[in-house]
Amino acid sequence: MERTRKLQMRRLLGATRAYLSKPANIILLVFFAALCFLTLYPLLTMLLETVTVHSGREARAVRGLGQSTGDFTWYHFQKLLGTFDDGGEAGIRLSNSWIQFVEPLLNTLAVSVTASAIAILFGGTVAFLITRTDIKYKKFVSSVFVFPYVMPSWTLALFWQTFFKNVNIGTGTSNGIMASVFGIFAPEWLVYGYFPISLVLGLHYAPFAYILIGGILRNMDANLEEAATILKTSRLRIIRRITLPIVMPAMLSTFLLVFASSMSAYAVPVFLGSPVRYYVLSTKMKSLMDTYSGQAYIIAAIMILFGVAILLLNQRVTNSRKQFTTVTGKSGQISLIRLRKANRPIAILLVVVLLLVAVLPLITFALESVIIKAGDYSLSNMTLDFWIGRDLDYLDQGDSTGILLSTKVWKALGFSLLLAVTCSLAAGTSGILVGYGVAKRRGSKLASWVNSLSFFPYLMPSLAFGAIYLSMSSKIPWLRGFALLALVGAVKYLPFASRSGVNAMLQLSGEIEEAALITGVPWWKRMTRVIFPIQKSTFLSGYLLPMVSCMRELSLFVLLVPTSNTILTTMLMQYSEKGWAQFGNAINLLIIVVVLLVNFTVNKLTGASIDKGVGG
Amino acid sequence: MPEIILKNVTKRFGKFVAVDNLNLVIENNAFITLLGPSGCGKTTTLRMIAGLETPTEGSISIDGKVVFDADQGINLPPNKRDVGFLFQNYALWPHMTVYQNIAFGLENLKWDKKRIADRVHELLGMLRIEQFEKRYPSELSGGQQQRVAIARTLAPGPKVLFMDEPLSNLDAKLRMEMRTELKRLHRDTDSTFVYVTHDQLEAMTLSTRVCIMDTGVLQQYVPPLEMYANPANLFVADFMGNPTMNFIDGTADVKGNTAEVTFGGLKGSFAADASIALSGKEVVVGIRPEYIRIDDDGAMEAAVYSTLPSGMETTVRLNVNGTQLTAVVFGDVDYPVDSKVRFDLTKTAILFDKATGKNVARGTLKLL
Repeated sequence: MERTRKLQMRRLLGATRAYLSKPANIILLVFFAALCFLTLYPLLTMLLETVTVHSGREARAVRGLGQSTGDFTWYHFQKLLGTFDDGGEAGIRLSNSWIQFVEPLLNTLAVSVTASAIAILFGGTVAFLITRTDIKYKKFVSSVFVFPYVMPSWTLALFWQTFFKNVNIGTGTSNGIMASVFGIFAPEWLVYGYFPISLVLGLHYAPFAYILIGGILRNMDANLEEAATILKTSRLRIIRRITLPIVMPAMLSTFLLVFASSMSAYAVPVFLGSPVRYYVLSTKMKSLMDTYSGQAYIIAAIMILFGVAILLLNQRVTNSRKQFTTVTGKSGQISLIRLRKANRPIAILLVVVLLLVAVLPLITFALESVIIKAGDYSLSNMTLDFWIGRDLDYLDQGDSTGILLSTKVWKALGFSLLLAVTCSLAAGTSGILVGYGVAKRRGSKLASWVNSLSFFPYLMPSLAFGAIYLSMSSKIPWLRGFALLALVGAVKYLPFASRSGVNAMLQLSGEIEEAALITGVPWWKRMTRVIFPIQKSTFLSGYLLPMVSCMRELSLFVLLVPTSNTILTTMLMQYSEKGWAQFGNAINLLIIVVVLLVNFTVNKLTGASIDKGVGG
Repeated sequence: MPEIILKNVTKRFGKFVAVDNLNLVIENNAFITLLGPSGCGKTTTLRMIAGLETPTEGSISIDGKVVFDADQGINLPPNKRDVGFLFQNYALWPHMTVYQNIAFGLENLKWDKKRIADRVHELLGMLRIEQFEKRYPSELSGGQQQRVAIARTLAPGPKVLFMDEPLSNLDAKLRMEMRTELKRLHRDTDSTFVYVTHDQLEAMTLSTRVCIMDTGVLQQYVPPLEMYANPANLFVADFMGNPTMNFIDGTADVKGNTAEVTFGGLKGSFAADASIALSGKEVVVGIRPEYIRIDDDGAMEAAVYSTLPSGMETTVRLNVNGTQLTAVVFGDVDYPVDSKVRFDLTKTAILFDKATGKNVARGTLKLL
């Protein structure tokens, strides 16, 4: 008895030691624990908030129920989801549940579906043109096309607003270019609400569709199409019967991911929806956060539920995609479709659209940042004061110097950059480690848990994610200021990094590392001398995407910054809300230039690029 | 002195048993092949000995030193086992030159620069790849890459060398050439080779002993020619030899060391080398193709079904009363399809118990 127990103990000890001697196991265990704490725990605290009475208006509202601040309550659920009749003749459309929840939900769904459709149609068409036809200006198109994705999402929104706004609609205080230069006063539906929000989001995520669908098209074995050509199938029929079905899973996957992203978008609906009180879930949540935070947290929870459902759906779609990966071969000889006479017109049209979407906004921002009186675009009305001027108090726009001379702006820029670098280092490195652990132990339960957990933050709408970290930080004293922002950023962008980390590791045969292991190369040296150098560009993309995302992030940080002057994006938000258009446009341009510069520099120096990191 | 000893080694992946209670003694300076179809556990076995995989149960010792013991909780990492490993797809580091690939492992052993340079050049010479020293792996052909991988593996002078299907990515001609060189290398390096392959010809030609496995279970572990001549069971008999052995279902009346055998419409008398340990009557008669001799004086007549002449030999498929038999004729001969030929059985045949698949007797079979 005693002996067998001893033997069992020794066996267990041996097995444990063997298990822990593998770095992949330790990494997975550490990340499992950390990710539980960083994603599941905050989620739990957030769910608790949905049934807790908060001080202020909530406390006053539940006083009649005999509850006070901190008590457990179903009031928020009751109020948000179960109040369709406020009494009186107002009817359902004026009830609390309708205004605060149903209408924003319907708006969200409408906007997200339309945006996804636009993204796929536009991105997919361009992907097809680039990979399958002999269209002209390919290089220009493919490099400029990802611009809107690299730029902050509100760029197009602000541009749209600046371009079309006029005194007749919304909170209209001034005329935009369209009204003042061309005298055309655009109708409200064109400038604010459903149409522009969907269009802008769709255009912003089109590059995403382009990258995903283009990737499949590029890897697709040309023999598949050639086999059909030999059988005398027409070009159109080949596209319809062979090409489309093969990219179908990628298109579905794109649809779902764009849908999820549009659903959680905050900046675009704020700029293009709020002036006409057009709310989606994210903007509604933000406005409720200050007054009825319990209801705001319920909206956040519902958004997360949507996200999870979409992920599960996407997983099913991409799993069934595997049946196609066997047919994606390496044959590089793709016979391009000749566009012949249509080539130049299509190419020129495409270039014009791209210039409108990617270049015109920048010009507009530059223009808007130098005019003194809104709507007057004559040279005499222009000044560089908003950039480099001094003693500007007479403008009454909050600042006395141009943004390039303002210590406030430089401090915010420095803080933003430091934050971006910190988040990127933390997320990127974690992504590599997660990728290593998951790839090495693939098939094990722990690996698939860590894999899912590391993707989980992607599903959390940024604003909701910020909200739950806000509620968590109130319980952890050291989680303040920079530490809080850096942590939330690192966790939120981990999915990008872990995607590229896993992709990079899966491409690498395990033997590459074992060949080093067998000669006694220690683990860290295997990582730094063998694994990292081989997959350098994919790994670095895992650093780049968090960095760029962080630089242009607004919704994640908007609830968490100590003051709105802390980082550039919230500063921009503040200027824009106060109507200080020139400063706002100048700062916006500054952000875009910095983001593009970072992207371009990293790309040139290391070969890493956004499209390598976005793998789905 | 025995070099590698595996005792009761079992490896389970969840419920799936990859290797089942394997006992194996690999002698010093042996060239062992682990042979079997894919998924039979041969690669897992190799990786367990090398330390890349942890067995679920059992113990392994190399050169008298216990490197793994589940009961005692011993598990030495691969680098402490003094072994070399040659991978199927070479696993050359693409970002390092040929020289760096070979030197990298030695740098880790804290060799001084001069010694490393000497050793690398010695190996480059030995494998005749001096001129590629500064090239990157992607600039080399498959065969050259293979040589670099071998040089890298040999560099630290391991006592034991493991190879996991190292030639399967090479074309047929190059594979032939590398086989010769591997055999020579085995002699020159004076170390123990353990070699995984699914190619029975490679196992036959290279090894001093073949360990054949199926679904995680050791089937037979003997020198290759012995395995060929006297396979332990139907699986081994079928796996070894190309073209494969003829198997014909039949019945046998056993009388001591002899038996009357009826199979595929033929009758024969079987004289075994030892007593026949058959429980029932159902047997499978196994005859190697080269022991079916096509000859005008043959005892039986058959129709030619098809022929595959290769110049050195011709594989002839015969049809005898509805039973198909494969025969091999040496030399550049051919027969018209559907022509009649006569044939005879020469030398040995093997009787397998149909119920268990086991080899019950080896002997000579005469057609009656």
